[in-house]
Amino acid sequence: MTLSKRLVWHGLVVAVLLVLLYPVVWLVSTSFKPATEVISTLALLPRDPTGDNYAEVFDGVGEFGVLHYFWNSVVISVGAVVGNVLSCSLAAYAFGRLHFRGRGPMFGFMMITIMLPQHVVLIPQYVIFQQMDMVNTFWPLVLPKFLATDAFFIFLMVQFIRSLPRELDEAATLDGCGPVGVFRHVILPLLRPALITTAIFTFIWTWNDFFSQLIYLNDPEKFTLPLALQLFIDQATQSAFGPMFAMSVLALLPIGLFFLAFQRFLVDGVATSGLKG
Amino acid sequence: MGRVSRRGAAGLLVGLLSLTAALSGCGNESADGPVTLRFVWWGNEDRAKVTRAAVDAFQQRNPDIKVETEYSGYDAYFQKLSTQVAGGAGPDLLQLDRATVGEYAGRKVLADLGEYTGKDLGLDKIPANLLEGGKVDGKQYAVAAGATTQMLIFDPTHFEAAGVRVPTAPGEKWTWAQFAEAMTQVGAAGQVSGTTDFGWAVDWFEVWLHQRGKALYTPDGKLGFTAEELAGYWEMIGAMRSDKGVSPAEVTTKMDGSVQNSGIVTRQAASEIGYDSAVTGYFGAFGPNLELAPLPSDVAESGMAAMPPVSFAVSQRSKHKAAAVKLLDFLVNDPEAGKLLGASRGVPPNEEIRAQVCSSAEGGSKAVCDYEAAQQDKIGPAFGAWPTGSSAIKRDFQRTYDDVIFNRVSVADAAERVVQDAEQSLGS
Amino acid sequence: MTQSVLTRPPVPADPPPTPAARGRRRRGQGVAYLFLSPWIIGAALLTIGPMVASLYLSFTDYDLFEAPTWIGVDNYVTMFTGDERFWHAAWTTTEYVLVSVPLKLGLALAVAMLLNRARKGVGLYRSAFYAPSLLGASVSVALAWRAMFSTDGTVDRVLSSVGLDLGGWVDQPQYALLTLVALAVWQFGAPMVIFLAGLKQVPRELYEAAAIDGAGPGRRFLSVTLPMLSPVILFNLVLETIHAFQAFTGAFVVSSGRGGPSDSTLLYPLYLYQRGFTDFRMGYASAMAWVLLVVVAVLTALVFRSARRWVFYAGENR
Repeated sequence: MTLSKRLVWHGLVVAVLLVLLYPVVWLVSTSFKPATEVISTLALLPRDPTGDNYAEVFDGVGEFGVLHYFWNSVVISVGAVVGNVLSCSLAAYAFGRLHFRGRGPMFGFMMITIMLPQHVVLIPQYVIFQQMDMVNTFWPLVLPKFLATDAFFIFLMVQFIRSLPRELDEAATLDGCGPVGVFRHVILPLLRPALITTAIFTFIWTWNDFFSQLIYLNDPEKFTLPLALQLFIDQATQSAFGPMFAMSVLALLPIGLFFLAFQRFLVDGVATSGLKG
Repeated sequence: MGRVSRRGAAGLLVGLLSLTAALSGCGNESADGPVTLRFVWWGNEDRAKVTRAAVDAFQQRNPDIKVETEYSGYDAYFQKLSTQVAGGAGPDLLQLDRATVGEYAGRKVLADLGEYTGKDLGLDKIPANLLEGGKVDGKQYAVAAGATTQMLIFDPTHFEAAGVRVPTAPGEKWTWAQFAEAMTQVGAAGQVSGTTDFGWAVDWFEVWLHQRGKALYTPDGKLGFTAEELAGYWEMIGAMRSDKGVSPAEVTTKMDGSVQNSGIVTRQAASEIGYDSAVTGYFGAFGPNLELAPLPSDVAESGMAAMPPVSFAVSQRSKHKAAAVKLLDFLVNDPEAGKLLGASRGVPPNEEIRAQVCSSAEGGSKAVCDYEAAQQDKIGPAFGAWPTGSSAIKRDFQRTYDDVIFNRVSVADAAERVVQDAEQSLGS
Repeated sequence: MTQSVLTRPPVPADPPPTPAARGRRRRGQGVAYLFLSPWIIGAALLTIGPMVASLYLSFTDYDLFEAPTWIGVDNYVTMFTGDERFWHAAWTTTEYVLVSVPLKLGLALAVAMLLNRARKGVGLYRSAFYAPSLLGASVSVALAWRAMFSTDGTVDRVLSSVGLDLGGWVDQPQYALLTLVALAVWQFGAPMVIFLAGLKQVPRELYEAAAIDGAGPGRRFLSVTLPMLSPVILFNLVLETIHAFQAFTGAFVVSSGRGGPSDSTLLYPLYLYQRGFTDFRMGYASAMAWVLLVVVAVLTALVFRSARRWVFYAGENR
């Protein structure tokens, strides 16, 4: 690759990025605007930059310090990642490689569960967690992930598993591996990119998920970042948009770092997976 | 798998339905002893701070009652409340607004406070006209947590620049024609519209109807106005729109009653019709150089009313109704609570506490106290609670008005559609 | 490995078993259920019951608080014959899906191919392209979006400067839906990552072989990249379509829950939400949900059926 070609490539990437990242930059820059500028101007740069919004966030939100909400979000998100990676990979292996009665209908039903709008199953699900005495705990947010209810990820992994050459399983079977052995020694290592993808998406989506956290967490002590964020907003009186933007930016940092750290494995995972044979 | 799942599903379904049915009956009143109440509201952090302080004071005085508080933003609040109540885990004491008092009372979620009145619940210090807003079918289901009334809030600089005087002195009034004239002049003179187009909110149409001896809803919950009346009202505003008297469609469509989207705060209008409970919000978001004036009227009655900006109600399904009523009473009647709560939900509903809070008010709260004092004679009794279906009507009203201002439908057809939709919503 | 496009159903049909295989399979069955057990427990405990409940409620008048009353198919009849907004919302969603899904997938694939090379800084670029998707659809994003697309906002000023004075998109019924499309397309990170992972799996030899055969970049894309990527394309197409039909949060936060101006952003799930939670007609909302489910399921089945003709699975190539 020649130098000029490389420059064209970098130029192209940066140009597309500039357009795409403009709103993100606006958001970050707005977090440095004083309260009156936040709602009255649409300008990119603050006329009178200030760190007040951040100071206010670090003074505490509601009754608790901002780190308290971060910690709750971390606990739930990590729990969800572990749950999804474990349960979805197990189910995906069964759907993608094993033969059993009812596979077609069960796969179809799994796809159906992705399609039903969440709002209508919300109340019945709430009743179930209420009966199990789990409302106002983290369980309704984490337990479903261990039970593979995020069918999205099962489907993702099924698609990955099905594009892995079967010769690999067969070789392992000839070496005396049963289905469990094939899963552990062949499929799981090769599935790494899909597992990393699942981990990244689960972490980010759980981190940002407002709706179910709103429904299931009552006690402000258990509030997560999305719930703390909406404490800044009020219809009838005054909303504190400045601090809200500041906290949104702070909330971005962990998931941004998470992505930055894990996207590397995405590449490495495949590069070392030996798919070439 | 098939058999197991079908049995499980059926079981859950039956469980769900019998639970729902069981809960629509009365909750059992439990005996004395330590109880735990759940009290929920929506609002910002300032409201939360003072409310929790008042709750702490209540707990100190009632050591056998523990109160758990929860709060959230407006949209989130009702989403969560509905789910909790439907799921059989509703709170004991809850905060409601205009439309939802009727919706929740009509669906038997709220307890009739009548049997507690005069015993655990004192209502004698709360003006009778304010109590009207919490009554459905003659029964008191909710108690005003504050008081507010309609107002025009305006930025005097624009009006002075246009050489227009706004009647703010006690007893002074203006007609709709004078109002339209003033707004058009301001719109012609400056960069901003005279006032934010107010045709979208059913609340201001309600005032207009009251000036004509009518109401949005009849006492028996039917629709109280005709398509012709609505068309006439919208035509009047339409005449102002063409002369920049009211804001253009692109601005108006963003209105949702929140301070941050309001035409004044975004500097797109010189004035705005609103409830005076929002004044502190306006002052905070815009600055303190705003003034208040009464709404115009062509008749002796101003059409304005003392309204509860928000109300407190006790859940019919609460197991500790008496304790919840006790907390409600404390919040609206206790001087210490009054001092702590201040004007966090509009000026206090209790007249004695209001006088006390107003005597030391400053900024936005002082502007409200002054305005309410100046308009005292003109403020009529609260309009009755809205019936079930009114949330849908309120939304459909605004949606149809969007079609009017974007010229997608004639005013007459739009008014006709509002009436038809409303009758359907009320019928269900 | 051949490059012919195989005709395979989404779940591969079992080949006729040999006697030896049959014995192995029977043992395999138990193991399969073991692997599936978390999913089966989850489905039985958390999914099937609520689904059946919502199906039941769709035949009732249920206001969330009082016990539901059976009204047969009334909700469905009203929906199809007496509710203009239902049809309006259905059409708005169709437009939204038809425009946003191809744009989002196209952009995701283009950027994924752009980034699919071992270069200095590519990890950083990848993260930067993913940044919009980190934001989700919060109130902050909604406010940023309004700042971009309102009158005198960024887009308006840029377009006006080239003589295209359209005003603010977010405030005008004829353009507002485009702002939601833009929001969806902007957050193309998830399909991009999945495309990238797929691209990484394409064996390099195939490109080398194609190059030796004299295929140019266009030819290589058509005859190597696309077939090898087809399972991933199928996945992204199906998931993004389902996702777009369920798009709710973006429309909710950008329009403050109303779907305005003039119902122009009233997507089907938003209308369903309004019916259920603002109008207290959860029976009707449930009926709407099941209509949506059936439509999406039929569409998905059609895509899967067509997939037999264009999706190629290496793992089923024997």
